[in-house]
Amino acid sequence: MLKTMNQKVSLVLVAIGALYLFGAFRIPSYPYAIVDADVLPKTLGVLLIVLSIFLFFAKDSETEEQKKRRDIPKKEIGMLLGVAGLILAYILLLEVIGFVLTTALFIFFCSFFLGYRNHVASGITAVVFPLVLYFMFTELLSITLPSGVLPF
Amino acid sequence: MKKFLLPAALGLSMMLAACGSDDGASETANAGDGGEFTPSESIEIVAPAGAGGGWDTTARMAAKVLQEEEIIDGKIGVTNKEGGGGAVGWSYIANYEGNPHKLFVTSPPMIFIPLNGQSEYDHEDFTPIANVIADYAAFAVREDAKWQDLNELFEDMKKDPTSVTVVGTSSPGSMDHMQFVQIAKAAGVDITKIKYVSAQDAGGMTQLLNGSVDVYSTGVAETVEQVKAGKVRVLGVTSEERLEGEVLEDFPTAKEQGIDETFINWRGFFGPADMEPAAIEYYEEKFKELSDSEAFGEIREQFGWNEMYLDSEEYKTFLDEQREEIQTLLDELGLAK
Amino acid sequence: MGSLDGIITGFQTAFSLEAILFVILGVFVGTIIGMLPGLGPISAIAVMIPMTFGMEPATALIMMAGVYYGAIFGGSTSSILLNAPGVSGAVATSFDGYPMAQQGKAGKALAIAAIASFTGGTVSVVLLMLLAPALSSVAVSFGPAAYFALMLLGLTAIASLSEGSTIKALISAVAGFMVVTIGIDAQTGTQRYTFGNMNLLEGLDFLVIALGLFAIAEVCSLVLSRKDKSIGDTHNIGSLKLDKKDLKDMSGPMTRHSFLGFILGVLPGAGATIASFISYIFEKRLSKNPEEFGKGSVKGLAAPETANNAATSGAFVPLLSLGIPGSGTTAVMLGAFLVLGVQPGPMLMTDRPEIFWGVIASMYIGNIFLLIINLPLIPYFAKILKIPRPLLISLVIVFSMIGVYAISFNTFDLYMLLLFGVIGFLMRLFSFPAPPFILAFILGGMLEQSLRQALTISNGSLSIFLDDKIALSLLFLALLSFVFPLVKQLRKNKDKATEA
Repeated sequence: MLKTMNQKVSLVLVAIGALYLFGAFRIPSYPYAIVDADVLPKTLGVLLIVLSIFLFFAKDSETEEQKKRRDIPKKEIGMLLGVAGLILAYILLLEVIGFVLTTALFIFFCSFFLGYRNHVASGITAVVFPLVLYFMFTELLSITLPSGVLPF
Repeated sequence: MKKFLLPAALGLSMMLAACGSDDGASETANAGDGGEFTPSESIEIVAPAGAGGGWDTTARMAAKVLQEEEIIDGKIGVTNKEGGGGAVGWSYIANYEGNPHKLFVTSPPMIFIPLNGQSEYDHEDFTPIANVIADYAAFAVREDAKWQDLNELFEDMKKDPTSVTVVGTSSPGSMDHMQFVQIAKAAGVDITKIKYVSAQDAGGMTQLLNGSVDVYSTGVAETVEQVKAGKVRVLGVTSEERLEGEVLEDFPTAKEQGIDETFINWRGFFGPADMEPAAIEYYEEKFKELSDSEAFGEIREQFGWNEMYLDSEEYKTFLDEQREEIQTLLDELGLAK
Repeated sequence: MGSLDGIITGFQTAFSLEAILFVILGVFVGTIIGMLPGLGPISAIAVMIPMTFGMEPATALIMMAGVYYGAIFGGSTSSILLNAPGVSGAVATSFDGYPMAQQGKAGKALAIAAIASFTGGTVSVVLLMLLAPALSSVAVSFGPAAYFALMLLGLTAIASLSEGSTIKALISAVAGFMVVTIGIDAQTGTQRYTFGNMNLLEGLDFLVIALGLFAIAEVCSLVLSRKDKSIGDTHNIGSLKLDKKDLKDMSGPMTRHSFLGFILGVLPGAGATIASFISYIFEKRLSKNPEEFGKGSVKGLAAPETANNAATSGAFVPLLSLGIPGSGTTAVMLGAFLVLGVQPGPMLMTDRPEIFWGVIASMYIGNIFLLIINLPLIPYFAKILKIPRPLLISLVIVFSMIGVYAISFNTFDLYMLLLFGVIGFLMRLFSFPAPPFILAFILGGMLEQSLRQALTISNGSLSIFLDDKIALSLLFLALLSFVFPLVKQLRKNKDKATEA
């Protein structure tokens, strides 16, 4: 039944629209408003659902090139998830072990993960880049970045 | 990428050299056991907002004077924790129970935001240390408006509430709205009928000047230049007595117009909960010194702030009273959470 | 004192050796800060305020203003090279600047941006000088009804930002609009879609969305293509050479958007970001070859870059002549004035002509130095793209993360950045264009708020839109802008039909 990609996507969008609309009905009302806070969200929710229905019946207008973007080999999906995982690790560690260490580790391991094998170059970048930034932010501009476990 | 950081670093160091760097403070303060307290590490003052706002300015200016005048011998860093109108910064501080090296700057939103149900922490979850600044609200109308004083305005609002629109920067239930509500209530206006719109980014003055709205509820300093230029008129300010200063002294207070109410936009410093008494005493003394210093006096004057020093005990009592008053008003409006 | 005397005093102030040194310093720092992640003009000015305390006011303000427009000038660099706009005014710059750089013409793209910025900056300063006193009344002439109409006019452009399917463009826009409803509603104080999370109370920051949808989504594409050497011919990557056709292509947009950007900058709340978007769209509409836009069009790059710099000068009109800051950045500038004991406002021009005109006159010098500083650096910047892909990807990620972290110092925003990166990548995969999303996000908030302000003021009557002449004419323009492409489309179809 769901032949085209548009139809699959439109069903997902209808679901998002419905959830959003559900949220809109739960916005508490404000006693003195002429146009209350829920009016726009309700409109947008309905609009998204209507547009998604249009999309469902729309002719597929994607070019071959656009379609090709979706052909991602399994291995590459793993790469993307890997990078996302490294980003998550960065966020988790940033305020714990500090800006300089986290950034240095991230630059080194992310480059390595993506296949960069010039360890000297990535090592130097990984040390110099965060240190220079850290120094500029904290010392010159007095904007505090998380110092973490390092003593400065 | 390294290539453009080097010139950046050079440029900034040049700039600092030109402006006079103040980062030479030492970190040699010692911790005292019991009795006396001295900071044993660098002090962090949190501005629970982004760079450039009132909290940030207060924090940075206070940190600067505290260090430059050598009131506190040690390093003071200002950190921004933006979000939730302050709530994000407060919850950050709440993690540091008892830590005497974490301070933050705050003002009436500390009362409003918890009451509006937007923060789980209120002033009782922290240690008020010292209030240093007071600012007051002003209610401005266009020069050609028909009202000459607050009573005339409030009379009209009693007759036909839909004919008057009040504008402010904050959303309903927060400062610009509530400061007007508080005075209007004392004048006998039905506060549930006040027509209030919120306009961000200084839109309030724009809308007053182009005639979209009738009254602008704001801080005193925001009105001065427009009054000087003869574009707006201040019907009333919310201080106890007339303010001092060239134009400011001409602003009538609500009180002298027979409306027995005031509103203070206070601003001061808090610490985390359970701070040891010695530390509180230490900071009280330091902030008193700050408040009395000539350098900070000059800053107050530039920004149009007034001096209002309260020590920890006075501050606590003051805040409790403030909360009760606002709570009553919000209850009447049906906005309390 | 007449304003001619004032202008002369201003030039005297601005051309003193000290002022020239400080304006150079200011634009230099500004342009560097504009390039760096997370350090927009707001934080740059805010952190410099305590440092300028006690300086000669005119000199200090000349320097601060330099930091401000310097940051806008420099903001295009990371947009063009990395698809990672450092300041919000530079988002539209990436639409054509980044594709151009990817085609191996980074030097050329940066040169176009620099020249367009310089032109926008300089022409608008002339306008500022001639019109500042006169325009101060224009700056406050827009009531909520007129703002609503202006935002609506901007939104009618969504269809022209689509790449193929109009329905998909509209869906993107609705989604962007939905994201903007997150947070406390300003008119009622009600929480919308915050799920009890205090981090969402103030809504999501523009840069979180922009860096997510553009930079992080681009990172995903770069990861997939890391093995191909797709940056065509890197041989001439640093070359600044513009041929006659490029210059000819640039001249039109640069002239138009110096004016348009300036006017939009004058309006409080509109500012550089909105100006750059509207200029981009306007230029695309005007173009005979709109299909080139988004693929490295010279016009598409010159238009927003001219406009955002012109808007920056425009923003000085309400700031200097009324004391009204039209944006977060000018609000901080206002703070800088106050610290130095100068009160911007209607009296500034007569009370302190050396400051009022001095700051304006110094912008000529500042813009010239921005060009002189930036052009020779371009070949070096362009070489950033020669950094091996894996390392470059890591650096772009870090760059975006610092950019977001330095706004709020809250890791929550970093999770949001990652989330919007994923959303942006999915949108790419399924051919939903990102520009309508970001446009709706920029305009949506003000559209809703001004509509509701207007209706509250009028007690619910729609007549407020008819009584306000500005609003009425803008609504008419919006209608035209909406109908015009439809008519064009119909006529095209008709032609096809008759041909067949």
